[in-house]
Amino acid sequence: MNACEDRLDIETVFHAHYERIARVIARVLRDPSRAEELAVDVLLKWSRNPGAQGEKASAWLYRVAVRAGLDELRREIRGSRRESLVRFFRPSPTPEDVRAAREDQDRVRTVLAAVQSRQAELLILRSDGLSYEELATALNLNPASIGTFLSRAEHTFRKEYIKRYGPQ
Amino acid sequence: MDRNRDKWVEERLAALRPDGEWRANVSRGLSRLRERRQLNGNRKRRWSWMAAGAVAASLPLMAFPTTRAFAQRCVSVCVGQSNWVHGFLTRNASSAVPSSVLVKPTERRMAPDFVLADAFGKPVKLSELRGKVVLLNFWATWCAPCAAEIPWFIEFQRTYESAGLTALGVSLDEDGWSAVRPYIEAHKMDYRVMLGNDSVAQAYGASSLPTTFLIDRSGRIAATHVGICGKGEYEADIRRVLDERQ
Repeated sequence: MNACEDRLDIETVFHAHYERIARVIARVLRDPSRAEELAVDVLLKWSRNPGAQGEKASAWLYRVAVRAGLDELRREIRGSRRESLVRFFRPSPTPEDVRAAREDQDRVRTVLAAVQSRQAELLILRSDGLSYEELATALNLNPASIGTFLSRAEHTFRKEYIKRYGPQ
Repeated sequence: MDRNRDKWVEERLAALRPDGEWRANVSRGLSRLRERRQLNGNRKRRWSWMAAGAVAASLPLMAFPTTRAFAQRCVSVCVGQSNWVHGFLTRNASSAVPSSVLVKPTERRMAPDFVLADAFGKPVKLSELRGKVVLLNFWATWCAPCAAEIPWFIEFQRTYESAGLTALGVSLDEDGWSAVRPYIEAHKMDYRVMLGNDSVAQAYGASSLPTTFLIDRSGRIAATHVGICGKGEYEADIRRVLDERQ
């Protein structure tokens, strides 16, 4: 493959998948611009991985994108735990800060970071509108078991959410 | 109940939808992708140029005998130093116990025979030393770890000579006796030292220095030490081989 074909390939894939990959990652992260950066990282990783190319490309991209988003989310949460002590000495947040906190999103993200990776990946991709078949392909799961896996993931999510924030 | 749970979870997950009609900025993403690819390409090119530069620098170095010898010496010093570090790190752990490199008498192989001239021009033939335990040390004057071992060998020779030990040093210095003789005098090496050659070094597989062989009374290799070892380890091996029945 020459450089020109290579470039054509990755740019074709970029145009076909970039927006959706970035949206999946943006669901997980607080910062949409970081989601765009990570989407580019995922595409570059794809271009360096010959095993991910061909028919499997789409499934590979969603799988790696959602994992990249979850990894980044866990890093963010670890970082914010470290910063919580520093924040203790800061002045109280302004009403604008409170509005910007987006409490609901933060709670869901915290719960997603706490449950098993595979369950979090299932829930995020499902909420992005992937069908059972697409989920099975993206996460290398048996299509016949997707319903069971999803049901377990939802149960775990609910339990973890209630444990942390109470029934709402 | 299941349906309610699905709905409840879906409602929570719906909170994650990006704000409003947010869409990833395609043109910004594309330019970022091109920039990153360009950067990766530049990095690869830079490594290629560095590799080409290293090859270009080493070619003249290997083209002339003097520079080639210098390069070989540098490599040998590096290998010798790494052996010394390895020996230093493992010495404490192994000094209290007998060496595990001592080969069982039934599994020993014959030490390759050689005839080499000593510092006085007198030939030394290994097979003529049957009946004695021979400590055969390959070394060189520029090898720092070898210098650390030499006083031990002098001591072993004095202590165990009466019990049947003979220490032999085989120098692999390329500069020959002009480098080795002054060194022998300066370090008061009173055991026999010969000037080695490639065929002897190859026969023993002495590719890094120091390498020392302990040869039993039947002329078989009882132990091989590559790199510097603990003095206690050498001594324990010598005693055990001296105590063996022929």
